[in-house]
Amino acid sequence: MKLAVIALRNLARNRRRTLLSLLIIAAGTIGILLTTGFIRFSFVGLREAIIHGGIGHLEVVPQTGIAESGSSAERSGLPAMAGWQELRSEIEAMPHVLAAGAVVQLTGMLSKGERSAAVLALADEPDRGRRMRFEVKLRGGMALPDTPPAEGEDAVLLGAALARSLDAAPGDVLTLLAITTDGTLNALDVRVAGLMTTGMQELDSRIVRMHLASAQRLLGTSDITSLIVGLDDTSQTSIVAAALATRLRGREPSLTVVDWKMRAPFYGQVESLYRGIFWFLGSVIVVLVCLSTSNTLMMSVMERVREIGTLLAIGTSRAQVAAIVLFEALWLGLLGALAGDLLGFTLVAGINAVGIQMPPPPGATGGIELRLASAPGDFAATVALMLAILGVAAAVPVVMSVRLRIADALRHV
Amino acid sequence: MSAPPEPRRPLEPESAPPIFQASGLRKAYRLGAITIEALRGVDLVVAQGEFVVVAGPSGCGKTTLFNLLGALDGPDAGSVRFEGSDLGRLTPGERTLFLRRKVGFVFQSFNLIPVLTAYENVEYPLWIDGLRGAERRRRTEEALASVGLAARMRQRPDQLSGGERQRVALARGLVHQPRVILADEPTANLDSGTGAEIVGLLARINSERGTTFVIATHDPAIVERSPRTVRLLDGRVVADERAGPSGPRGTR
Repeated sequence: MKLAVIALRNLARNRRRTLLSLLIIAAGTIGILLTTGFIRFSFVGLREAIIHGGIGHLEVVPQTGIAESGSSAERSGLPAMAGWQELRSEIEAMPHVLAAGAVVQLTGMLSKGERSAAVLALADEPDRGRRMRFEVKLRGGMALPDTPPAEGEDAVLLGAALARSLDAAPGDVLTLLAITTDGTLNALDVRVAGLMTTGMQELDSRIVRMHLASAQRLLGTSDITSLIVGLDDTSQTSIVAAALATRLRGREPSLTVVDWKMRAPFYGQVESLYRGIFWFLGSVIVVLVCLSTSNTLMMSVMERVREIGTLLAIGTSRAQVAAIVLFEALWLGLLGALAGDLLGFTLVAGINAVGIQMPPPPGATGGIELRLASAPGDFAATVALMLAILGVAAAVPVVMSVRLRIADALRHV
Repeated sequence: MSAPPEPRRPLEPESAPPIFQASGLRKAYRLGAITIEALRGVDLVVAQGEFVVVAGPSGCGKTTLFNLLGALDGPDAGSVRFEGSDLGRLTPGERTLFLRRKVGFVFQSFNLIPVLTAYENVEYPLWIDGLRGAERRRRTEEALASVGLAARMRQRPDQLSGGERQRVALARGLVHQPRVILADEPTANLDSGTGAEIVGLLARINSERGTTFVIATHDPAIVERSPRTVRLLDGRVVADERAGPSGPRGTR
């Protein structure tokens, strides 16, 4: 313990230099805290936006109806899941399940007068969507009604970009063409109830949302493409998925469970990109802190060569001398990181309170409010990280100090 | 006011066991392209309890001899035996224990640890040797009292005068009760009055405790009082003078 006290007092000898080192460490800590908070916020925000944009946490789908990647965009074929009402009741009775909504996906052609566009239609049950906390971002008009529409009263929501390309507006009547389950072409007149956005421009130019009953009428089937399952807590996804997979085992025709990550490969790409950015920024911070503090520690050792020689001459072991230098580094790391944590916490709270508006991310249609999702563990982790960095930074100064020849060190001026 | 005690009279080598036996010591340093021979074959025997001054002008090799006797450096040739053990054969761990227990150092520039108080500086050798609790405190306070600094023990070195610092350094050298104190120019940074006080202190400790003293100096005041003076010149022993009980020095 005495060596730690000596080390702490040594830091107080050159206060300006120590303060500068502490500021560097604190700045590094703050940088890592803010970056981590922003990236976590981005991950969580994107994840929840994807899930509550209509993908849900889990999807139960016939084994044959799923493309290898699991991506929704690559889902193919006509609805093939029959007898799903009983299964839905079972699923909705499971813990953490908010609801399970039937979905039909289809591709077709939407026309208004002379204008036509290939569309991807997503038909679901709006009441269950609400129970699963799905969010439909309206950009005009009204949401779809909860109750199944009567024949001749079918309505749709159009992606905003699709509506522009068709020159369609709420109240207009369009014609939706699709291939039915028996291979014939069918048409359905649909009224535009409202305009919506998915948040992604690419999808907004193709997406049509409608009630499940309308899609089944168009395709001439009571089957569905899949059941979308919404949970009360995203962290429970894998647990519920495993339980669900167990229930589905042995069912004919066989069904499989796909989680939201498999259905949204875009999220994985964004996550990889952000992680890459984080590691790059983090590495820069680590290297800068390490080099600058190592330099400080080396200067500190060089200024105390004769003192270290004296310590060795009066019986201090080289390990004890090394411990003094290492303790100095660890004190710097600890105090700097704690100061950084304190300032970082204040900054995180301040930024979250102010609510800074950020421009739309690439491919998105709207801006986002900057929030930093810092976790309590981040603060402890930065302290541990800074201690590790300072431990590495102390390596050269420690070696320098223990390699001193006593007689030379005592002669040092 | 009583006169300061005289150091112990030298004992004949055959009557007191040697504490140091240096033979054929050679040491050279390179300064760029130049090689400086600091010691050119020095032989020296110091008996236990002796008070020996190694005197000579600057650059004669005093500090080099001091470093070799204290195992702070190794010779290029020759050997130093401490109580019969060759210091050149010590492992690093044994050397640390030798420095920690057998020898105490007093340096010209005091070499106190500036972040420690006088008390902590003196306590330090006991702490690194693992002595704990009341015994450590007792010995620390005793050492400080023996050099007359009991009242200044909470001061840091920069709050002490030069003489007080050297007293702290002496207390630090003594606190672990070493067999020998090696002092390198202990009065060089002190005024003559303070230097005389320090010399008196060294002599008293030698006289009272029988601690061996080897002092490298060119201070005539120390040389004058020393019962034995080894004179170095250009890395060689040129005289080994012993004072009789009261008479003039004789050269051996």
